[in-house]
Amino acid sequence: MLRVWGRINSVNVKKVLWCVGELGLPFERIDAGMEHGVVGTPEYLAMNPNARVPTIDDDGFVLWESNAIVRYLSLKYGLGTLCPEDPRQRADSDRWMDWSSAQLASTFREVFWGMVRTPPEKRDLAFIEENRVATAKSLDMVDRLLGARPFVAGEQLTMGDIPLGCYVHLWMSMPIERPAHPNLVAWHKRLLARPAFNSGVNTALS
Amino acid sequence: MLKLWGRANSSNLKKVTWLCEEMGLPYDRIDAGMSFGVVNTPEYRKLNPNGLVPTIDDEGFILWESNAIVRYLAAKHAAGTLWPTDLKVRADADRWMDWCTSTLWPTFRPVFWNLIRTPADKRSQKEIDEGAQKTGEILARLDSTLAGRKFVAGDQLTIGDIAFGPVVYLVNNVMPGRAKLANYDAWYARISERPAFKKVVALPVA
Repeated sequence: MLRVWGRINSVNVKKVLWCVGELGLPFERIDAGMEHGVVGTPEYLAMNPNARVPTIDDDGFVLWESNAIVRYLSLKYGLGTLCPEDPRQRADSDRWMDWSSAQLASTFREVFWGMVRTPPEKRDLAFIEENRVATAKSLDMVDRLLGARPFVAGEQLTMGDIPLGCYVHLWMSMPIERPAHPNLVAWHKRLLARPAFNSGVNTALS
Repeated sequence: MLKLWGRANSSNLKKVTWLCEEMGLPYDRIDAGMSFGVVNTPEYRKLNPNGLVPTIDDEGFILWESNAIVRYLAAKHAAGTLWPTDLKVRADADRWMDWCTSTLWPTFRPVFWNLIRTPADKRSQKEIDEGAQKTGEILARLDSTLAGRKFVAGDQLTIGDIAFGPVVYLVNNVMPGRAKLANYDAWYARISERPAFKKVVALPVA
């Protein structure tokens, strides 16, 4: 059976949990990272020298780095659904994975750590605000895109929605000021209607 | 012919030009970004609302986000060589592309930014020292993976190496004093002696 290492409140683990849920794959999850430790043990480092979560073991094939895991599982188990067969549509979907993890996450992360994982008295409010504004600006583009299509790469949910959906869900869950972004909100509602999103991503904020 | 927008010394552009050179794929490159401007014109924003480089036009198919471009072009033109057909080897290569973007570049970026893009009197020595130390630490993870391997995903140059090339070129030419990493250094020597690397990656650092 597929094994997944990682705590449920990691945004990168959420990507994998949502993905396996959409694919209907049975899996076993092992807590790891932050208060659970594990990632510093020799056994874990032998699988993942990067010492972060998630890591998967798929019948003896060990892989880490969340987007690479989502691509691998989508291609192996979701060709034609999560992984588009058409090369151009696949590249379109793929692009949003890179963009979400590289560009969106770089500013989003500072808002999330500031608002959720830092005690109020220790927050650098100016720094959080600067990153909140930058994140909102990045999401303006996604809001425009989602005005023209129900999911990032077209008519159906693909792997390109997965990392973005995980970040946007946290964005929508934090007590912060947000632009209206009606198309982004409607897309988030479509995601919330999916059982795999609810079990993998829509969990307590921590 | 493939059209490609981006200034020649952009690390993200270099991933695409190095790939094209390795594949022998002709391309028509149009300068854009930084001193060249272009990226804020309405015409460019129609192609790429994110306003960065690179962007490609492949017979009418527009794509931006460098790693997604590399995956798309390699899948189209280099299946079985730069684009491994074995799913596990491909995922292995793919993972290093993500790691380069998500971990190596953000760690090294402060060193690059301070030493190359900041006037001497405005540099933060603390950021340089911390960034250099952390970069050395995480390169050790790559070094351990490269033990017994010619390239990051095995005995063949793949997209995993391509994404690294422009970033490790900067690391090796910009970063002060770093511990010797035997596997990493041997790998770097292997990729940097390739004619395509010399032609489009090894440009003056600016």
